[in-house]
Amino acid sequence: MKKIFILICFLFFSTSTIASSISLKPVSLDQWQTELSTYKNKIVVVDMWATWCTSCIKRFPKMLTLFHQYKSQNVQFISLNLDDYEDTDSIIAAEKFLKHVKAEFPNYHINENLMTAFEKLNLIGIPAVVIYDINNKERYRLTGDNPYKQFTDQDIEKAIQQLIKEAKP
Amino acid sequence: MKTLAQFVFAVILMNTPITLLAGKYNAILNIGDSMPEFKQLPTTDNAHISSSDIKASVVVLISLANHCPWVRGMDKDLIKLVDSFKNQDVRFIGFSVNHMEDDRLPAMKEHAKKAGYNFTYMFDESQEIGRQLGATRTPEYFIFDKNRKLAYMGLLYNSPAKMNWDGSIKHINGQPTQFYVQQAINAILNKQTVNPEETRAHGCSVKYN
Repeated sequence: MKKIFILICFLFFSTSTIASSISLKPVSLDQWQTELSTYKNKIVVVDMWATWCTSCIKRFPKMLTLFHQYKSQNVQFISLNLDDYEDTDSIIAAEKFLKHVKAEFPNYHINENLMTAFEKLNLIGIPAVVIYDINNKERYRLTGDNPYKQFTDQDIEKAIQQLIKEAKP
Repeated sequence: MKTLAQFVFAVILMNTPITLLAGKYNAILNIGDSMPEFKQLPTTDNAHISSSDIKASVVVLISLANHCPWVRGMDKDLIKLVDSFKNQDVRFIGFSVNHMEDDRLPAMKEHAKKAGYNFTYMFDESQEIGRQLGATRTPEYFIFDKNRKLAYMGLLYNSPAKMNWDGSIKHINGQPTQFYVQQAINAILNKQTVNPEETRAHGCSVKYN
């Protein structure tokens, strides 16, 4: 926890690497569904995360690598932040983090009660990566919900490749 | 049968990792299932514990992780809860299965001392206790009755709390009003029905290898 705190503090006060165009857009759960539907005709990869989730922070660089790897192949990466909407410090830290790592894709934050958000998003825990096909249909939900079947970075990539293959005429 | 076959085929075809849940929010365990056995797990008080050592009428197993701000945010309330049952036949056992240094036994000893843990806190290097319970978050509670059947699993109460960077604690839904674990223990002790039996635990993810 101490290490994460130091990291967040560093990111909070670090401005030298900030990409000013990157921001965290607050959305309600209904607005999130609407936003999601605007990406129809693309394969959409949603990374659900929070600053309190160490596994999410650790996974983020891989999401960025995949974003750069697949952005020219009709794959849209999106991050969905699940920090408590009333916890302003964490939300500011989340945005600083996204700027620092140069998360140059749409970044959203759910501005509703956290427990309601988990319930409505049908989430048990995060990190979770949800992947939609070009018809906006949820096809993969990669989670840590089963201790015997934890998802890996390779699972994310495999899912993306499968959907790219399916989308080819 | 045909529908089931179609479903299985669709899953294979889509190559989709789908988790079929046993409980409402648990992939492995359901209410009424037996408590997993564990043997000679090391504890923060330099002892070892096996499930066969536990004789209490009610056993509460708690998935914990030192590093987790949700665990830290609810530590005080857990300690209060354990204290409130000190004269009753209830045994509380916390466990950690994470392999990160912050959650291993030396750090657990330090955290237990600092936080004032008043219950057994054990570490399972094999992670088997966590796997067999289907424990995926910290904190997450599992309550077993005298026959060691699962009677409740999930949240401590209806407003999880997180410890912030400055050490302050904030509940998601204000002060808790439903004390699920306390209610479940009392129901078991008084031979009443446990309600609710399952809630959606909220916290950090358990890191399985």
